[in-house]
Amino acid sequence: MVRGMATEASTTPATARVVWRRYLAKPTQEQIVLLVTLALIIGFSVALPGFATVANLLNLAKSVSILGILGLGMAIVVIARGLDLSQVAIMAVSLGIALTLMTNGVSTPVALLAVLVLALAIGAINGLIIAFIEVPALFATLATTFVAFGLGRLVLRTLFIYAPPTATGLFFIGQGRILGIPTPIVIFAAAALIVHWMLSRTSLGRFLYAHGDNPEAARLTGVAVRPLAVIQYMLSALLAWVAGIVFTGSTASMNLQIIYSTAIFDTILVVVLGGVSLIGGRGGVLSIIAGTALIGTLLNGFTIMDVNSEVQNIIKGVVLLAAILLDNRLHPRDDETARQGD
Amino acid sequence: MTRASNLRMGWGMLAAVAAAGLIAAPMAARAADEPQISKSERELRSSYDKDIKGKTIAWVPIALGAPITDIWTAVMQEEAEARGMKFLLRDPNWDATAELQAVSALISEKPDILVVHNPSLTLLAKELKRAEEAGIHVIQMNMESNYLSDGFVGADWGQIGRMMGEETIKACGSGTKTSHKVQIVQGELTAAGNVNTVAGLMQALDKDKEIKVVSSQAANWDPKKALDITATVIQQHPDLCASIGIWGVMETGASQAIKNAGKLEQVKIITNGEGSAFDCQQLKEGMYTKYLSYHSDRQAHDVIDEASVLLQGKMKPGTVHVALYTVPEWLDKASADKPGACFELPNLKKPETAAKQ
Repeated sequence: MVRGMATEASTTPATARVVWRRYLAKPTQEQIVLLVTLALIIGFSVALPGFATVANLLNLAKSVSILGILGLGMAIVVIARGLDLSQVAIMAVSLGIALTLMTNGVSTPVALLAVLVLALAIGAINGLIIAFIEVPALFATLATTFVAFGLGRLVLRTLFIYAPPTATGLFFIGQGRILGIPTPIVIFAAAALIVHWMLSRTSLGRFLYAHGDNPEAARLTGVAVRPLAVIQYMLSALLAWVAGIVFTGSTASMNLQIIYSTAIFDTILVVVLGGVSLIGGRGGVLSIIAGTALIGTLLNGFTIMDVNSEVQNIIKGVVLLAAILLDNRLHPRDDETARQGD
Repeated sequence: MTRASNLRMGWGMLAAVAAAGLIAAPMAARAADEPQISKSERELRSSYDKDIKGKTIAWVPIALGAPITDIWTAVMQEEAEARGMKFLLRDPNWDATAELQAVSALISEKPDILVVHNPSLTLLAKELKRAEEAGIHVIQMNMESNYLSDGFVGADWGQIGRMMGEETIKACGSGTKTSHKVQIVQGELTAAGNVNTVAGLMQALDKDKEIKVVSSQAANWDPKKALDITATVIQQHPDLCASIGIWGVMETGASQAIKNAGKLEQVKIITNGEGSAFDCQQLKEGMYTKYLSYHSDRQAHDVIDEASVLLQGKMKPGTVHVALYTVPEWLDKASADKPGACFELPNLKKPETAAKQ
């Protein structure tokens, strides 16, 4: 033990080299993804004129901010070994209702807070079904998606809902700039910092990782797993609401059609790509930033190169497959603690 | 007979005739006052009622909730019920499989007229053929399939594409002092409406060698995707001359991106659509420069008219091809104000025979 402490305490060049070699020998997925992103950025900067400008890079970041915020919410749930397929539905339905309220004269902050309550309620329902009725997260959140969509269509009647011109605060969030940086990027950065603080510095974060790593052990050591489930899905819903505000701010509308588009799979792509393993217990905010950066760079490059949309979808699919395979190799499924629906 | 008795008989007959006349005259007068519907009109009306009243018309859109399908449904329902027809509605909600199932199920219910909105050229073609063989008239709405049925009501997409292309050449072609750069925002690459419109558009654009298409990406009918694509395009090509959108509602995303970049005055936004009040509003706000409307409210009216003709003509299903192509109309900021330019979005009341799935 003394020798071990001595080795840690001393920083001889030999020890440092050993530490470095161990570090580089098994790179984490975030590092791999960040390296690939860097390679792509360098490649595109050389091949595509106009890519490596501040304006374009800000555009790139702005276009994936919403995906990033949703990814943060999904990461919280996936780290705890869950899955939230209802995020996009919560985002679309709650903001659709908010826009309708605003058009009918309700003030913007009141409308947004009212639908925050709705979003949190749906998140809580998700958590309650998964924790108490013990339905696997995949099926529970899928069901909630359909229910939310149906309710949304019933209440809203149309698929496209438009913001009234008076919602200037909303437009600032979507289209404005703070200190020269587009507001969506600022909001993504702020959300990332808060989630990072929560995951790494609070006991809630520790419990999420514990539950993701080994749910049974977490339960046996006294972690309140059921309230934990409810809280994590409510947090995911909260971030979906934030993403929705940025969405409606930038497009001045909400489109219920996105619930049945590939948006939710793009979110899972960002999460898995960045290194938040689907078996839970690892990854963090850096993973989301890495995944979002890679997807954003790819999409931006494709748009500048005017690549056919079907080819874009194929490449996104291949990237997702590669990420899952890499995830499988680096973090094999722990059969002792795996559950149905994993 | 004596002369006296003859005279008496004569006066008697005269009296009888006068009496009869006095009694009959008011009756005749009353009869002459009461107007009668002419026989030909009565015959026509009765034959019309026999052919139309009580007949069933079934409608399967791709999905409800978009202005185009909502206005079609509202107008068709109103006009069908006003003529005494029964109106059936099925809402597959963007699910192609559900639409196929709905059509198959309706064929067994044997409506008299089946109106369908095809999501692709191939999905419903076989079922539509089966419907006509079963004695049901099929009218295809706005997007056709590979099977030519009795009726088609809708826009000629190739023509719409060509007209948008010609308008683009006028705004950005060789004669103009612009960069000649244009962007195309497509919908979904495999949709019938998209394929034909883009084909017509490219045919027209190819005629002017100066026009450069700098971007032709699919935004899948989603305004947010259109916004993201256009934000990159306008940033890469700040001297963009025109943005051509295959559907107005989707193109609002592109206009928003151009507005955010402060280039709304410079870039001509050319698009087409159903012509709802929303679209006229966009024209007035400068979010579209030129809008080609195919007046979907009139299209729905045309469907009921075509159904009426098919039923009264007593034609055997599958033996005719009656196409009612909509005549598209250019709208711009000035003409958006004229009455009837755009239709008001319907205040949707729940249809009596609501979606059953």
